[in-house]
Amino acid sequence: MSRTFIEMAGRRLSLSNLEKDLYSTYGFTKAHVLEYYRLIAPFILPHLKDRALTLKRYPEGVEKDFFYEKRCPSHRPAWVKTAEIPQDDGERMTVCLVNDPETLIWVENLASLELHVPLARADFPETPNSMVFDLDPGDPAGLLECARVALILRDLLSRMGLVSYVKTSGRKGLHVYVPLNRQETTFEDTKTFSKAVAGIMQKHYPDLVTARMAKKERDEKVFINWSQNDASKTMVCVYSLRAREKPIVSFPLEWRELENPAGPGDPERLQVTHSEALSRVEKKGDLFREVLMKKQKLPHL
Amino acid sequence: MAVQGIWSGTVSFSLVAIPVRLVKAIEPGRISFRLLHGKDYSPLRRRMFCPEEETMVPPDEIIRGFEILPGQYVLMTDEELESVSPERSRTIEIVEFIDRKEVDPVYYDHPYYLVPSKGGEKAYQLLVEVMRRTNKAGLAKFVLAEREYLVAVTSRDGVLALTTLHYSEEILSGEDLSPRKEKIAAEDQSRIKKSIEHMIADFDPGKYADGRRKKLMDLLAAKVKERAPVEAPAVEEEAGEGPADLVAALEESMQKVKENR
Repeated sequence: MSRTFIEMAGRRLSLSNLEKDLYSTYGFTKAHVLEYYRLIAPFILPHLKDRALTLKRYPEGVEKDFFYEKRCPSHRPAWVKTAEIPQDDGERMTVCLVNDPETLIWVENLASLELHVPLARADFPETPNSMVFDLDPGDPAGLLECARVALILRDLLSRMGLVSYVKTSGRKGLHVYVPLNRQETTFEDTKTFSKAVAGIMQKHYPDLVTARMAKKERDEKVFINWSQNDASKTMVCVYSLRAREKPIVSFPLEWRELENPAGPGDPERLQVTHSEALSRVEKKGDLFREVLMKKQKLPHL
Repeated sequence: MAVQGIWSGTVSFSLVAIPVRLVKAIEPGRISFRLLHGKDYSPLRRRMFCPEEETMVPPDEIIRGFEILPGQYVLMTDEELESVSPERSRTIEIVEFIDRKEVDPVYYDHPYYLVPSKGGEKAYQLLVEVMRRTNKAGLAKFVLAEREYLVAVTSRDGVLALTTLHYSEEILSGEDLSPRKEKIAAEDQSRIKKSIEHMIADFDPGKYADGRRKKLMDLLAAKVKERAPVEAPAVEEEAGEGPADLVAALEESMQKVKENR
């Protein structure tokens, strides 16, 4: 195993196997992954900050086995910030908090290509900062159908007085976020609200939308997964890489990008790769910034 | 080895107190099946049915009765039951040591192990060793899951074993079942004795296995290979409902969205 030592903010990090090809059909090594996260750090860190990280590790690359790690590895450096979170069985679990660039690089050295975080911060695990609609298309529906549903959803939420933001999942779907950032709003509220919204969407667009989890109901339709609004669930963090053939990023879009589907176009054109992600944030900054800032109250609850 | 404990506390006698955890000694080999609805493979749930009203009875309408005569009951509340429940033991207080050989196997109920907790290792090992050499069992009273048990603490394979014992009043005597005494001829006795001597062996339970379990496991393995398992429909809350106000507001907004598209 090859080792490289670097120093960041006075902290010494030992990086291993930098030459390992993690996206082998595309040709993207661990060094590339670390470089991506180093450059995206100023944009992704606010979204990871103080949230219980779930690592999704691909030690042998995207084509091989992965595993989830919720517990912060015990071999972590002393300076990695952690939180103790209660589990269902009453035991407490130590989780990593990625609050600085050093921790991000340390986590990526573990080949945790994907970074998943809860909708709430670790110190207020029952208070989500946002409500989410996870749009997941069932074959042969794809990103374009998702875009249609996302736009209807945006309009509906807007009529309800709520501003929403959208990002690609980096896989097949889209994630619509409604910022809340209010102490008083609980997961019970976001679940009730999102479930009612999903139900109305299904009722009015039965051929396009389903709000039901059952696999057979999802064929050809876009599944609005409202049940992600739960303290125990995590979402892939905005700006996280995804483990597909290409290093594609879960990336925020402007609504108008969904409004102009350029002809019959390749739905994949909405996907944002690592290099495009970096050039976009350079120009436009963090399009998801408001998700962390904007205060909104769910009406009629 | 981090085995989940069923209980933790101390084993004590005279001036010795050893911190221990109780862990199971038996992993039942029983293969159990879920009952499914043949139409859609939903796992079935048991519910309480009132044959008089022909209706399902919700939990808050269910109470306990002790049948004193057919159809006649003395009612018992949860509080009353709790008032006679023993307090949870913090210690397994050994009150007597007896010879292991003295215990008729019919008294043995359920076996557990006691494993040492932090700080108790040395005293624990000492007790294990002395009990092994003297072949003694310590008798103790012990409360587990709201029941008060008589237990025997013994030394086994370098650990302490705890076996719950039946109370003597639970044991049915075999006396009434034995047939009337008849005269037995001496040659009959020696013939049987010989036959038995022919079949003497060392007790080796490893030689025997649950044949049905083995066949059942093989059958399950073959079936898994043969075809994919059937899938239960995903259980989920129905989407769409919600507070009436919210649903009405969403409905109104949705109408406007549609008009404008």
